[in-house]
Amino acid sequence: MKSSRYLVAVPAALALALAGCGGSTGNTGGDSTDTGSAAAGAPTDDSKCADAEVFCIGLVTDTGKVDDKSFNQSAHEGAKAAAEQLQGYYKYIETQDAKDYAANMQQFTNKKYDVVVTVGFLMTDATAAAAKASPDTKFIGVDQGYDATKVTEKNITGLVFPEDQAGYGAGYLAGLMTKTNQLGQVLGLEIPPVQKYAKGFEAGAKAANPSVKVATVYHPAGDNAFNDPVWGAGQAKTQIQQGADIIFGAGGNTGNGALQEVAKSSGAGESKFCIGVDTDQWDTVPAAQPCLITSAEKLITKGVTDTITTAKDGAFEGLQTLGQAGLSDFHDFDAKIPADVKTKVADIVKQMEAGTLKTGVTL
Amino acid sequence: MAAWVQKNRTTLGIGLGVLVAAYVFYYAKHDIAPSMFGAAWGYAIPLVLAALVGVIGERSGVVNIGIEGQMLLAAFAGFFGAAYSGSMIVGILAGVGTGLIAGGFLAWTTVRWRMDQIIAGVVLNIIATGITSFYLKSGEILPGVIPNVDVPLLKEIPLIGETFFSGRSAIALVAILAAVVVHLALFHTRWGLRTRAVGEYPSAADTAGINVERLRLVNVTLAGSLAGLAGLYLSMDASASFERGITAGRGFLALAIMIMGAWRPLRALVMALFFGFINAVASQLQLTGGFDVPPQLTGTLPYVATLVVLAVAAGRVRGPAAAGQPYVKKDQ
Repeated sequence: MKSSRYLVAVPAALALALAGCGGSTGNTGGDSTDTGSAAAGAPTDDSKCADAEVFCIGLVTDTGKVDDKSFNQSAHEGAKAAAEQLQGYYKYIETQDAKDYAANMQQFTNKKYDVVVTVGFLMTDATAAAAKASPDTKFIGVDQGYDATKVTEKNITGLVFPEDQAGYGAGYLAGLMTKTNQLGQVLGLEIPPVQKYAKGFEAGAKAANPSVKVATVYHPAGDNAFNDPVWGAGQAKTQIQQGADIIFGAGGNTGNGALQEVAKSSGAGESKFCIGVDTDQWDTVPAAQPCLITSAEKLITKGVTDTITTAKDGAFEGLQTLGQAGLSDFHDFDAKIPADVKTKVADIVKQMEAGTLKTGVTL
Repeated sequence: MAAWVQKNRTTLGIGLGVLVAAYVFYYAKHDIAPSMFGAAWGYAIPLVLAALVGVIGERSGVVNIGIEGQMLLAAFAGFFGAAYSGSMIVGILAGVGTGLIAGGFLAWTTVRWRMDQIIAGVVLNIIATGITSFYLKSGEILPGVIPNVDVPLLKEIPLIGETFFSGRSAIALVAILAAVVVHLALFHTRWGLRTRAVGEYPSAADTAGINVERLRLVNVTLAGSLAGLAGLYLSMDASASFERGITAGRGFLALAIMIMGAWRPLRALVMALFFGFINAVASQLQLTGGFDVPPQLTGTLPYVATLVVLAVAAGRVRGPAAAGQPYVKKDQ
């Protein structure tokens, strides 16, 4: 029996080591993955971030990963691009657990990073608190809307996107394309950015086709709402069986599961279509290509790069910075979508950009 | 037969009631009912398979809380096996094989080396999360799909045929078959009697000449193949991708299903369906709209229902007596 102690210890140690490498979920506290990168000629570590001439950018994800094929990845690419353009140093931390937000930001503020980018609506309050505590660091909160009566600091800006416009454009396209007059939405957690997509989609679809019906389902659970492709696929299947012929999947990997389910169903690309979200998912989810007519895209990468550049040059433009959103390329479906539909959709998108058309979405 | 009906009249009554209600619903709301039953079964498939792993394990005296990890490893191996080899068959074999290996790991650590069963399960879960996150590569796609199998004749039955015997892959059929086979084997074969003896009172079984250790090793290892199938279903059938934590707690849910099913395979199947159906109701409430209920609240419905069922059934069900205890021969 004595040797059994070692037999417990060895696999346990091995497991912990592996879990540490993986940077996976779990209750390992602040044990997060962090990897540095630097452009040629730029600083190679963060020891001199306190110097005025060394520009350091830190990025903290919400509980997603920088390769999530969605907004964390876009923000990560934007920050990396900014570091390369501005000859700065860039490092990111993937948060393992929501309670580590503050600690992860502190890792950067302790080393006097110039800019800290926090990704995702879920970090709104934590970012505002960190900005108050570290006035020398500038904070950019992607997808974060602050309450102007509570957040008065000048070192913080929330980068928000008109998701409702992207959703409206996608919904307008879907409303014109549907044959069954039934659309479906498979969504992640019910939070403002997702709600804006969803309500915009519904408004756009109804504007294009008043008789269209839109079925909407949000993922109920908080923890893995954006990382449950099996659930997303199941919902898409149900909606198709109930007559939907175009599915809008908006919710990280959960939405991707819905897209892939549509891609597998009979008639994919002929009578059934799917619409992606956040980035051009033609590139990020190749398995969805058989049905993916477009993606309701927000230009996070460009928005993050631009906002970091603004931060380096001086003050933010305000408590909120407005990014851009729109529809991505039709790719292989360019030939299949009727020309008059494309003209109408392009017209709608142009009107929204010009500000002459309002989506009417309020939360 | 009459005696059997008499003995099981409550179960039969409830079963008949549920069946009639299901058919009434099916014909009354034909626009949504078939898809809801489909969604319920789709949700239940991995739970049934995983619950069977738990049933076999605990019936032989080994608590398996590593089902989640077994599923995760198998989902990973299956998906990437198929993606890299370009063959779905290789992927399926890799997945089932990984399930077996993971089952073997649990069996050897807990039975042969008498490690604490809970710790061994936790170790398995952590290893699985670690390995699958570390070696994960995004952007891979499956070379094909697992083909759907329609069962002739059976698929013509309204509701039942539509839900269980058409439009689903072979894994779904295996799940039903496995529940029936494990039930028959557990309660009507020599292997089953021995397994239950080993799980209830291993020293008595030992006295009767049963090799407790070997039976536990074999059972826990073989059950791993079912966990492998459950994992494969997630990454290669229900969705066509592998993501970190794709199992999303389904392995733990299966343990609750196992308890709700009173450690009996067919009851676990029914309970998984029940749970799946409540889930389908929760999303249908959102889809249909008209109710101003927040999705967070409807989302709790399946768990509330589970609590109610467990509370009602509590005290009446008792697990195998020796589950969780390694068996040590007295003369050693």
